[in-house]
Amino acid sequence: MSEQHVLRVEELCFAYPQGPPVLRDVSFSAAAGKFLAVLGRNGSGKTTLLKCLLRLLRPQSGRTLLDGRDISQYSAAQLARLSAYVPQNATSAFAFTVRQIVMLGRTPHLGVMGFETDMDHRVVAAAMEMTGVSGFADRTLDELSGGEAQCVMIARSIAQQPSMMLLDEPTSHLDVKNQLAIYRMMQRLAHDWEMAVICVSHDVNLAGRFADELVFLRDGQVTASGRPGDVIRADVLRDVYDVDIELVQLPSDAVPLVVAH
Amino acid sequence: MSDDGDTSAVAQAPHFTARRFAVSLIVAVLVWVLVVAVCSTIGQFRLGWDIWKLRMLRLIPASLVGAGLSVAGVALQSLLRNPLASPYILGVSSGSAVGAMAAMLAGAAGVITPLTMGGTTIAAACGGLATTLVVYFIAQRRGRLDPYTLLLSGVIVTAFNGAIIMLMYLLATQPVFRDITVWAMGQIREQTSAASVAIAGVVILAGWVVLLSRAKAFNVQSLGDEIASSAGVNVTALRLTTFATAALMTAAAVALAGPIAFVGLIVPHVCRRILGADHRTLLVTAGFVGAAFLAAADTLCRTAVTLRTGELPVGIVTALTGGPFFIYLLRRRFKEPGL
Repeated sequence: MSEQHVLRVEELCFAYPQGPPVLRDVSFSAAAGKFLAVLGRNGSGKTTLLKCLLRLLRPQSGRTLLDGRDISQYSAAQLARLSAYVPQNATSAFAFTVRQIVMLGRTPHLGVMGFETDMDHRVVAAAMEMTGVSGFADRTLDELSGGEAQCVMIARSIAQQPSMMLLDEPTSHLDVKNQLAIYRMMQRLAHDWEMAVICVSHDVNLAGRFADELVFLRDGQVTASGRPGDVIRADVLRDVYDVDIELVQLPSDAVPLVVAH
Repeated sequence: MSDDGDTSAVAQAPHFTARRFAVSLIVAVLVWVLVVAVCSTIGQFRLGWDIWKLRMLRLIPASLVGAGLSVAGVALQSLLRNPLASPYILGVSSGSAVGAMAAMLAGAAGVITPLTMGGTTIAAACGGLATTLVVYFIAQRRGRLDPYTLLLSGVIVTAFNGAIIMLMYLLATQPVFRDITVWAMGQIREQTSAASVAIAGVVILAGWVVLLSRAKAFNVQSLGDEIASSAGVNVTALRLTTFATAALMTAAAVALAGPIAFVGLIVPHVCRRILGADHRTLLVTAGFVGAAFLAAADTLCRTAVTLRTGELPVGIVTALTGGPFFIYLLRRRFKEPGL
């Protein structure tokens, strides 16, 4: 159970039409119950990789196996029952309440007319409970703070009951306290809810502290991957980020603190 | 943020079940039936079977047009993620105006034989659909529609058609000038042929069913393309279906009654405010509310005012009531950050 691979990415290559390659032979795998963070500079291919995993982009070569099957073989609804997505920031064109937004996570589980069952409501209530958004279930997104809104989007993904959750820099607009809260939540989703959590991140320190595995991308290639204790090294980070790196070992933390110069 | 409040809120969670859907459907139908029934008794003649039948011949097309424009409006506001969009943003109304007016002008000038009412309807439908195709080809890129580009191309093509319409006004002389003006304001006519009512009715009702089956996709689509497709919605297909369906429904409505203003904008808006954002409820109720609204507005035109030149066009009533009401809604929007 602990090493069951939910996602296997094998030698993925992608280029936009008439563009240079963005992803070059990217391979990694994500296991159920593990929190994996994808790190790299702007333009290193992180978001493109996420879009390939979401099937928004079609890679030129390589395979993406989800639960042992290539993702191109799933129907849209089948795929949605296996993988869910959390964007960088939460927006809604119309004034849905928090409860309604979380219920939108049930979309791939509902029939054509979208009738909801007691089961759907129990799942939604549990998702709201876990993310701490039950207290403002009847408010709309624009009445919430950025941190609260991001929790709502995570709750929506949980309600989708996926085996894999993909998050695109979910803390990029949040303050320190909320960043910590979201990283803890992702860790709990992996460890307690047995999901494969894959998060694109810019924060090496938070990712190093909370994630079980890090994948570093540089120019569309995986330059290093492994447990934070193994890959948070000055030479690896210098190569990935192209800046001078100093590692500070705090007595309280297992993984050293990264300071960029 | 009290804990008691939380649990009671969860316990009272509104379920969207088949039963709830049936209830809202029945309520909406009853409201519409009631409005139509009351409207059919209003008028200067004593109510008899023949008079009633004659009034129903107007109330039914009026209801169809109101429902078609309102449902298409809800769907397009969702598609464009813009609550200020109306079905006319696709260029259907301006295009059919160009088609109908050109046919009237050509008939008067002797270029073609003067058209019957049916001929004008066909010319309007052709103009509307042709314009919609132009809007589509400007907005699409490799078969995909981008909401923002679609909105812009709709606005630009409508403005272009507006210039052609102005030019035709300049060229028109009486009595064609008056015919054109009346057509452009929108009017429900008793003498609309049963066949054209039937065709428009089938298009509008079928389109309504198609859009209703996409209701849960519209809901999740309002959180953005990435979330929608990760929740199992084929966004590209949804956009194309919605575009085509809404365009056909609008064309059917405009062919029956001319470009009646504001219904497709106001009714979705009011229903959204009252019922919330859920398209599963909205697409049903907005249709019947639109049907009732236009039936009532048309009854007002039929009975209240008789102008020297004939009846008041219903498009004037909807615009005169809809315009101020819309401004009122807009101002309330600023006061309430909630919506």
